Formats: sequence, C-alpha cells, structure tokens
Amino acid sequence: MTKRPVVPSDPAVFIPQLPRWIMTATAETLEAAAFRSGAALAHLHLVTGNSTVPQALWRARLALSAAESCVRIMGRREGVVALRDAVHLIRPGDSPGPAGEILRQWFRAVSRSVQAAPLARVLEGLSVEKIAACFDGAVGNPVDRAVSVLESMLVEMPRAETAALILTDAALAKALGWDPLVPLLSLGLKPRDLRLRGDDLHLASHRAVTTASGQAVTLAADLTRLATRLRAVVPQLRAKGAGKAVDLFLSHDALAPGALTGLMSDRAARRLCDRLVDLDVVRELTGRDSFRQYGV
Amino acid sequence: MARGPKEPQLDRDLADLPQNLRWREWLRRIEVVLFASATPVSRDDLAKVVGQGASVDLLIADLAADLADRPYDVARVADAWTLRTRPAYAPAIRAAADVGSQALDLSDFDTAVLAAIACHQPISRDGLRDIFGKEISRDLIGRLSERDLITTGPREPRRGAPYTFVTTAIFLAAFGMESLRDLPDAEQLTDAGLSELLPKS
Repeated sequence: MTKRPVVPSDPAVFIPQLPRWIMTATAETLEAAAFRSGAALAHLHLVTGNSTVPQALWRARLALSAAESCVRIMGRREGVVALRDAVHLIRPGDSPGPAGEILRQWFRAVSRSVQAAPLARVLEGLSVEKIAACFDGAVGNPVDRAVSVLESMLVEMPRAETAALILTDAALAKALGWDPLVPLLSLGLKPRDLRLRGDDLHLASHRAVTTASGQAVTLAADLTRLATRLRAVVPQLRAKGAGKAVDLFLSHDALAPGALTGLMSDRAARRLCDRLVDLDVVRELTGRDSFRQYGV
Repeated sequence: MARGPKEPQLDRDLADLPQNLRWREWLRRIEVVLFASATPVSRDDLAKVVGQGASVDLLIADLAADLADRPYDVARVADAWTLRTRPAYAPAIRAAADVGSQALDLSDFDTAVLAAIACHQPISRDGLRDIFGKEISRDLIGRLSERDLITTGPREPRRGAPYTFVTTAIFLAAFGMESLRDLPDAEQLTDAGLSELLPKS
C-alpha cells in the first residue's frame, strides 16, 4: 500500500555541510573565533538565498529551538512537545501560557521583515525608535554589532532575555542582509553565557554563531531533502486543496489537522494527514492518538 | 460612566523647570506611584509619569541610591518595580502592625499546592492529584487565583482538554523572587526533604 516516491537526484538539492575545520575549536583567541564564525556565516549566507531550501519551514524549526532555549533561560521546564501543544492546539480565547507565548513570539519574529516597525509589534515593550537605534547604533563586524545590542539589552532589561535575544539575532540578520532573521545567537548561547560581559561575551558569541550555523546548515540539508520528497508526491494526492495543504506543511513547524479545515473538510484534512504519513513524507509529531500534530 | 470635571492633564515633560529640578520631580513621581501601588508597577506604566525618552532605569537607579539609608527599598520583579521593607525591620513590623490580615492568608496545604504548581508548571488539577495523592479542590485553585498567584495556562492535550495552571508575576513578588530561576533547585529541595516536589523527568 505504501508507495515510496522516487527521490530525485537533483544536485541543487544537495546542501553542503560546513567544512570540518570551522567546527573544531580548541582554546582560542577572539581573532581565531571571529575567523571561524565569519567563515560559518558566509557558508550559511548561501543557504539563506537558496530557493530549494524550504526557507519558512527552516526558520520556523530554528525558532522552535530558539524558543526552547529561551524558556529554559526563564527557569521553565517546558520542552519542544509542550511548546508545540501550547501554540498549535490553542483554541480561540485561550492563553498559550508564558512558555507558549515565547514560541509564538519567535514564530512571529522569523516570519516578519527585519525592520524596526514589524519587530516592534513582536517585541512588546520595545519602541520602534529603540529598535531602530539598536540597528543603527552598533559598529564593527556583524557579530560584534549583534553582541553590543545583546549587551546593552541585558544591562537595561536583565529579565527580558527573550526580547534581548530576538533583537540580537535581528541585529545580526540586519548586518548580514538576511530577511527574515535566522535564529543563531539564541540557539548557540548557553544560559550562563548571558552573564558574561565584554570580550568574554564576544568570544562566547562567536562560538555560538559557529555552532548554531553548523546546526542550521544540517537542518537546512535535512529539510530540503524532505521537502523535495513532499513536493514530489503532490501529483499523487487527489484531495481537493492538497497542493495548498502541502504549501502549509512547507512553511510551518507543525500543523494540527484542524489548521487545514480552511482548505477542506475536517474529515478530509485528517485523511490527507494520514495519507502523507503513509507516503512517509510527513510525520506525526506527538505519538498520541488524539490532539495530533503533523509536520515535515 | 460619567466622570466629574476632567483632571488637568499630567505635565510629563516639565519643560519650564531647570533640568535638575525636573529630574527631582520625576524621581518623586516614580516613588509616589510605587508607594501608592500594592502590586509591582511596570516600566511602561512608570514611563507615563515622566518625560518622553526619560530613562526609567536611570530614574530607578537614582531612586535606589536615594533610598539607601531608608528602611525600605525599591525591588525589581520581572520587568516591574515595587517598594519593599528591608528584611532587617521585619521583627519591628510584626511587633506593632497588624499585617496578618494583609498577608497571603494561605493554609500550609494551599502553600504546598502553590509550590507544586510553581515547580511543575504548566500543570492541571489531575497532575496535582497525582502528586498529592488526592483530589485538589476547585476552591483551593480558586483561592490561589483570587490572590493572582496563579493563572490559567494552555489546555492539556487529552480528553476534556483540562486547563493547566501557571504562576504569575505577583507570585514572584510575594515570595521575593525575580524569576522562576530563583526557585530552589533539585539539590536544595532534596536537602530540605521536599524531593516529592521535584519534577518527574
């Protein structure tokens, strides 16, 4: 019953990984760390401009990891599963809770343009002027500029780490010409790194950018492979609205079948999700019998 | 609702005062707002009583310096501030003032449930029943909600989709914490013989 789609051997689908020398660090100077992070960012730059990479889905998955680490920084214990539940299974009028709110903020941050006005709507409590000043005020290489934003935010609003990290990754993306932003420093920095200042914070940040770039490139390669397979099965799907549903899967971290009911009936949405799982192009993410969620 | 004659608009910028007096006045406004409020006041609310672009953080820092030799202090709670008596004066306050009626007024068991919610959040009543081995009444949850110590979180993804509960900024303020990171960690709980409060991993 399960027909596996033929995996196209299109060379464009192949996303090369970071060279090993970038990822292997020993005790090092700030200069050496900056050299590695610069090389990693240049490599990642090619991924951000690659049209075979499902860009929105890639950023959403990185946002999920970024949210997970922000939640941990706040002293909360929700993992990926609880975060997804809070956001994707929400009913109108309910609250996603403090941790779900963080994931929602991250999803918004990676789907909006890296401009002061749209970001001000994501980062409650920060004015457009303040965000614009963060983008314009910093000098130096892109990572240094992002770190100076991080440092000033941590001093000014020490308990608003999520906002600080979103703004930091936004400043990095702005300096690199990426739009929307790609969560990197928020993935790579550990909770204790946020207590560092000055050169120590710069060193930790260069390392964080390098590690996170490695993860982001690997994720981009995996998702590109999966997305190519998912796109390839679209002709086999007879359900009305299947093409649009696949587009949703290619731009969202996870979907409850209910999210497809704008395109088809509730029953058809469930059947399509099951069919995509049978075709091995979409996974059921929760392992539950009810309140299920699906994603690439 | 009809209101009486409109209050004159608050002059935030105080443009006609010399700079040092203007700053002084802003400091006093921040102090009086914190004094008048029983709950922590957010940065946004404080910014409403001072000039556009005046740094609330700098004003708070100056206020804290002004209060250095006072028996109370300005304390930060999440992204808000409140005035708090210094711990050294607790005995004096307890000896003379009738603060009992203002305290949280929770039973030991209420407090234990609150602690479990803090450590396990988000958690539903069923989750609490599993920890305590008995049903946690809606009344108890209601008492904690009434005091704004907890609020509803996301629903649990299972039959009936029960609501979970999470702690609030008021909870942090009431127990003198700045964030949930200030909750005791696993080792401290175990040492205190409270290991049943530990999250099951």
